[in-house]
Amino acid sequence: MKKIFQHPPEPVNGKKYWRSLDEIAGTPEFRDRLKREFPAGADEFEAGGVSRRSFIKLMGASTALAGLSLSACRRPEKHLVPFTKSAEWEIPGKPLFYATSMPHRKGAQPLVVTTVDGRPIKIEGNPGHPASMGTTSLFAQSSILDMYDPDRARLFRERGLESDSTKFDAYLTQLTGELGANGGDGLAFLLEENNSPTRERLRQAVIAKYPKAVWAVYEPLGNDAVVQANKDAYGDDIKVTPKFDDADVILSLDSDFLNFEEGSVEMIRGFSKRRRVGRPEDGKPDMNRLYVVENRYTITGGMADHRMRLPVSQIGAFAVALAEKIGVDSALDASLKQLAGTPSFDGQWLAEMAKDLQSAKGRSLVLVGARQPEWVQLLVGAINAALGNLGKTLVGTASDVKPSLKISDLSLLIQNKQVTTLFIFGGNPVYNAPADLDWATLQKSVPAVIRVGLHEDETSNRALWQVPGTHYLETWSDGRASDGSYVSVQPMILPLFGGWSELDILARLLGQPKPEGPELVQDTFKLLAKPADFKSAWNIFLHDGFLKDSQLNESALTFNAAAAAKFIETNSSNPAAGNSYEIVFIGDSKMDDGRYANNGWLQELPEPITKLTWDNAALVSVATAAELGMDVKDHLGKQDFDTLEIKIDEKRSIEIPVLIAPGHADNSITIPLGYGRVFNGNIAKGAGVNVYPLRTTAQTYFAIGPKTMVKRTGNQYRLAITQDHHSMEGRAIVREATLDTYKETPDFPKKMWMDAEILREKGPDNPFNDGSNASLYRHPPLDAPNQWGMTIDLNTCTGCNACVIACQSENNIPIVGKEQVVNGRAMHWIRNDRYYASVDEHDPDPEMVMQPMMCQQCENAPCETVCPVNATVHSTDGLNVMAYNRCIGTRYCANNCPFKVRRFNFFDYQQRPLDKLKLGPLTEKGSPDTLKMQKNPNVTVRMRGVMEKCTFCVQRIQEAKIAQKVKAGASDDVRVPTDSFQVACQQACPAEAIVFGDIKDPKSKVSLLKAQEKNYRLLEYLNVNTRVSYLARLRNPNPAMPDAAKSAAFEKGLIHTEEGGKA
Amino acid sequence: MSSMPTEEQKAAVTKIPLVLNDRPLSWITDKVSSVVEERTPFWWWVSFMVTSVIAAFGLFCIGYQISTGVGVWGENHPNGWAWDITNFVFWIGIGHAGTLISAILFLTRQKWRTAVNRSAEAMTLFAVVCAGIFPGIHVGRVWMAWFLAPVPNSNGIWPNFRSPLLWDVFAVSTYFTVSVLFWYTGLVPDLATLRDRTNSRFKKFLYGTFALGWRGSNRHWRHYEMAYLILAGISTPLVLSVHSVVSFDFATSILPGWHTTIFPPYFVAGAIFGGFAMVLTILLPARLIYPQLKDVITLQHVDKMAKIICLTGSIVGYAYLMELFIAWYSTNPFEKFTFFHSRFNWDGTGYYQWAYGCMMFCNVVSPQVFWFKWCRNNLWVVFGICMLVNAGMWFERFVIICTSLSQDFIPSSWHIYHPTWVEQGTFLGTFGIFLSLFLLFMRFLPMIAMSEVKIVLPEADPHHHPHDEEAHH
Repeated sequence: MKKIFQHPPEPVNGKKYWRSLDEIAGTPEFRDRLKREFPAGADEFEAGGVSRRSFIKLMGASTALAGLSLSACRRPEKHLVPFTKSAEWEIPGKPLFYATSMPHRKGAQPLVVTTVDGRPIKIEGNPGHPASMGTTSLFAQSSILDMYDPDRARLFRERGLESDSTKFDAYLTQLTGELGANGGDGLAFLLEENNSPTRERLRQAVIAKYPKAVWAVYEPLGNDAVVQANKDAYGDDIKVTPKFDDADVILSLDSDFLNFEEGSVEMIRGFSKRRRVGRPEDGKPDMNRLYVVENRYTITGGMADHRMRLPVSQIGAFAVALAEKIGVDSALDASLKQLAGTPSFDGQWLAEMAKDLQSAKGRSLVLVGARQPEWVQLLVGAINAALGNLGKTLVGTASDVKPSLKISDLSLLIQNKQVTTLFIFGGNPVYNAPADLDWATLQKSVPAVIRVGLHEDETSNRALWQVPGTHYLETWSDGRASDGSYVSVQPMILPLFGGWSELDILARLLGQPKPEGPELVQDTFKLLAKPADFKSAWNIFLHDGFLKDSQLNESALTFNAAAAAKFIETNSSNPAAGNSYEIVFIGDSKMDDGRYANNGWLQELPEPITKLTWDNAALVSVATAAELGMDVKDHLGKQDFDTLEIKIDEKRSIEIPVLIAPGHADNSITIPLGYGRVFNGNIAKGAGVNVYPLRTTAQTYFAIGPKTMVKRTGNQYRLAITQDHHSMEGRAIVREATLDTYKETPDFPKKMWMDAEILREKGPDNPFNDGSNASLYRHPPLDAPNQWGMTIDLNTCTGCNACVIACQSENNIPIVGKEQVVNGRAMHWIRNDRYYASVDEHDPDPEMVMQPMMCQQCENAPCETVCPVNATVHSTDGLNVMAYNRCIGTRYCANNCPFKVRRFNFFDYQQRPLDKLKLGPLTEKGSPDTLKMQKNPNVTVRMRGVMEKCTFCVQRIQEAKIAQKVKAGASDDVRVPTDSFQVACQQACPAEAIVFGDIKDPKSKVSLLKAQEKNYRLLEYLNVNTRVSYLARLRNPNPAMPDAAKSAAFEKGLIHTEEGGKA
Repeated sequence: MSSMPTEEQKAAVTKIPLVLNDRPLSWITDKVSSVVEERTPFWWWVSFMVTSVIAAFGLFCIGYQISTGVGVWGENHPNGWAWDITNFVFWIGIGHAGTLISAILFLTRQKWRTAVNRSAEAMTLFAVVCAGIFPGIHVGRVWMAWFLAPVPNSNGIWPNFRSPLLWDVFAVSTYFTVSVLFWYTGLVPDLATLRDRTNSRFKKFLYGTFALGWRGSNRHWRHYEMAYLILAGISTPLVLSVHSVVSFDFATSILPGWHTTIFPPYFVAGAIFGGFAMVLTILLPARLIYPQLKDVITLQHVDKMAKIICLTGSIVGYAYLMELFIAWYSTNPFEKFTFFHSRFNWDGTGYYQWAYGCMMFCNVVSPQVFWFKWCRNNLWVVFGICMLVNAGMWFERFVIICTSLSQDFIPSSWHIYHPTWVEQGTFLGTFGIFLSLFLLFMRFLPMIAMSEVKIVLPEADPHHHPHDEEAHH
């Protein structure tokens, strides 16, 4: 029977001072306590005749009770204090969700943000919005960290000296007066691209009020050529969007449309819908076919069924040849003849591919990258027109954003001293303006520059006023999504550092007071929606995040071949592929144009193809590397890489480390933009090389020059690459086959490699294995009402890494810094493994496959048996559970994990500065307040010495279970309804490749996928019985293509019962 | 009457005495005690200073690692263990030789053990101390290492008895406890000797306290013999079990290169192999420094120990070759890759082949010279081979750990391990600790088991009559 102690009341401050034990012993309180605690012993004590032994026993226990030791051993007192004045509707610790959207140059991304205690902690897609359907891009997921960036600008600065918002407000009033007097003479605005209707409305108002004002928009990764081409080809301001639903055959010419550079999540969604393949019995699996022509491996190229590597400057020639083959409008005949030259690429490849496109008239799609010059855009437009795609797979919408000046125009005005007051909203022209403009000098020459930005960066250094900007999560605004629908931008929290948004300033310049709330957006809403009942319409708008049926109408697309021909005749240039190198500038997959340089998550995220972190590197092919004198042998453990000096002319040269990129075109060098920033951002310091100095207005996206402009310097530079080895070594880890093989043998993955030898049914040869979970050890019974499992469809996963950032955001995963990544200590719980595969080891055209890998939640987990302290155990609903407070960090579990998905906290990453980790206790402990605010309160922040890994978002599972139990009340119905919640990676994935759910319910999405024949588990022979399984990859090659034989040979090597071919 | 045997025949059957030059009992006592009773020689101070500094540096490295994080070492994902566990297995393996000499050779009545068993046992203890440091400090949260102990705790759960690391805890602590008891039991009569010989009151008090009142009476000796026998009996299975349990750290995992049933005998043989090499590494210099001991620790002893090294080295060599064979025969692609790419490979695709080469040369090739008598009797050769064996045994564990971890099932996680100065310093520091402790042992305790050596002298045999030898024939 459990002893119930009647502890005496604790004195208010636990300590009690005494001079002798007798003093205590003598007091009546003490005797009382003794009586209550030891009824018999008390008598003994009081009786006086107490033996030496019992005296010691009693005194020991009693003095402890008297507060001598108990309170000294008490845990330190901490206080849980609720808000006296909290945000509306907040229940402490429970999340609230608000809809908003992330402004982006390609269209606002509809989002739903999780807020806790009045601050945002996690970003998800808006499931109600038809375009995003609840998924997000990598940039949206990581943008929350930008808001909480401790290096953000916090101060108003006038001429570099600290000021405040009142003074700035006064300045604006004064300026409004001055400019009003002279009609805005000398007033100029330089902004980032944003299709916000409110901003447009305010812009019109500003131009109306100050007719001489100049409005310029600059995006380093803008698509000026596309816009111009569309204007020429289809008429004013038409935006052309691909519709993948109906596209059977897709050709991408240098268009990385599956990456967020070209579009947003809609492209991935659309493409994946036609890429997914169900069971053969469900009907003909009408998988689309993708041809890609590009200079470097992109994630789009990884998804290709046929890929050709071609320098970017040769894409035009390819388009010319293709146009001839397809047979475009005769108006272009002359231009085509003029441009025809000797092709440097495989003519048969092009011919067969063209045939395939023609066989799918009206159901094909030819996409061209924004990087390509206008004449190539026009040619491709003509090709699409000839293929009958316009209006079917390519739809046009009218843009409601009026065109603006370009930065080159603005710089001319500045040179002519026609600009006296320049507002720079966002962007970073000093860093990323074309080098020939010499923007830094230009900006210095403008008398009054008002720079509104999130950071005090390169551009702020030369400003009259530096104004802290607001992040979109702190701002009232609006936008249009990629389908044209009107979406809201709703703040989750007041501006953390008292910043001003661009709309605030525009309003002030119009003489209006600084908005308190959504007044500006409400005015726009009234104009656009024209609601009968404003209040409820507005609330619905905010709740939904978008205005229903507000998509822009489709505009008919009629290709103006004559205009196109005219342009092409005068503006095309078809450089011969000769003895030259091309330098290709690409927007980085993580840094974009450099705006995310201070975002630690993005810096540490491995670049999808090269797995490079914290730096940029030039990419070259094996042949080019050999030409440059580099060591082309693959060494495991290589950390130091050669650097190249790229010198386009005397003023433009950089030194950049170089990586050999399999599948890269020869004589082409890719260099990513967005690095080498110089400002007070702690994360961005020292990260990479600034490549913008090489970029000019004439050569915005690629530059061609003699081979002598590139040479090895002989220096070495250390790069932090997370994946050292890119071959599967003949192990069938990513399993793929052609569509035809799949139709014949739907369960081909189960017959591949070692799996072919696993006997799955009990029989005379196999008396022991009846398919059930045979194990030496007893495991907890898996009898919970829900059993969790997951599938990952390798056929649709592009490797975009949105899941990685979503997981990092949801689970408070730290970043570790470049040095630690070099040492192999990155902490991502989910990673994307990228393998190159080819039959011939030296094939310059390997295939590329991606595979997300997280904790496989094995039912027979090898990690569980070896943890000496039971810190990792199995739950009854099938999770491998990690108890951080029990873990002492022996790392045996990580050693025994065959998938190597466990992550160890080698240092106190959350508490110590990342550049001083090795100094340990000598450094300051603690994390900036804003970073603490971002953390998910439902997930423990792990200290050093503790192991962690993917938990299937156990906090979300628990929340769902709790919600169900609350709903069930007294009844037994504690089973969480099927598919009622999502885990973080699943929610983020734009391709819907990750599906999580209840495998006990045969009708759940995940069960249906697991029932597919092409479902397989990794390392099945180890009998670990993973709960995560993969749907094998399929390729849809065109048998007529010259490289079709390669796919077939490759596949043969793996689908066998004997050892597979070397990959 | 049979014919008289010739001198050669006599020589052939005459056993070489265990103690040379017909030393009497008192000579043993005098000479061995003199090492302890003399004033501390200058060379001892110098050596002790050096080893203490090294030990202190090691302790500093340990302190640095505990206060800052395991990250100051070279471990990463996937190499969760490297030098830390290599050193642990290295040291604990070395300890086994001492226990074998003390216990197994006692039970098998190998009298020659008496000259070396005290030092060997001491070496075991100090090796186990050095070994025990590593499991303690290598964990991420050292202040919670007590979770390994099956005591009530606020988590309300027991440790995981399925885990080999926990078996290690029990095995090593048992081993240490039993070894201390065994060694101490054997020490008691010798401490009494020192107590009785010394004139200093302080030393008499100290030695006397630790001699536990030994009077050398019949009853005392009877109890002594019983206790010694029992402890020898307990220690004997420990020689086999402790290192088998340590090998289970690897054998019960699933990694290719670790997951193999050959490990328990392979490790035990390797432990004895490396341990004997370390014993000789300690004793050969001791013989040089204390020439008076050359009659007790004779060339015979060295010869016998070299033979054991040859035997266990051959077992280890066989095990290596068998591993290679089985890796090929099994056709398991992971196993084949680990052995024929990560380890035994000339195409340069792996990273640690050089370590495998060292291991093979030092452990398989070098001890084979001990087939030749002149090699066994040349002390420089013996010392040299022993150093090679020590290094080779360290490399063996390093190869096992690092090749299997750095290149395992999923190639995307392959990553190379490089040690940092901190773990190198820690390892060096353990040598400092080991040698410091051994120097202290040499200075203050009798390094030869006087009472046991005397037992094996012909004089100790009650039926021995020295003049009978000539009279008989």
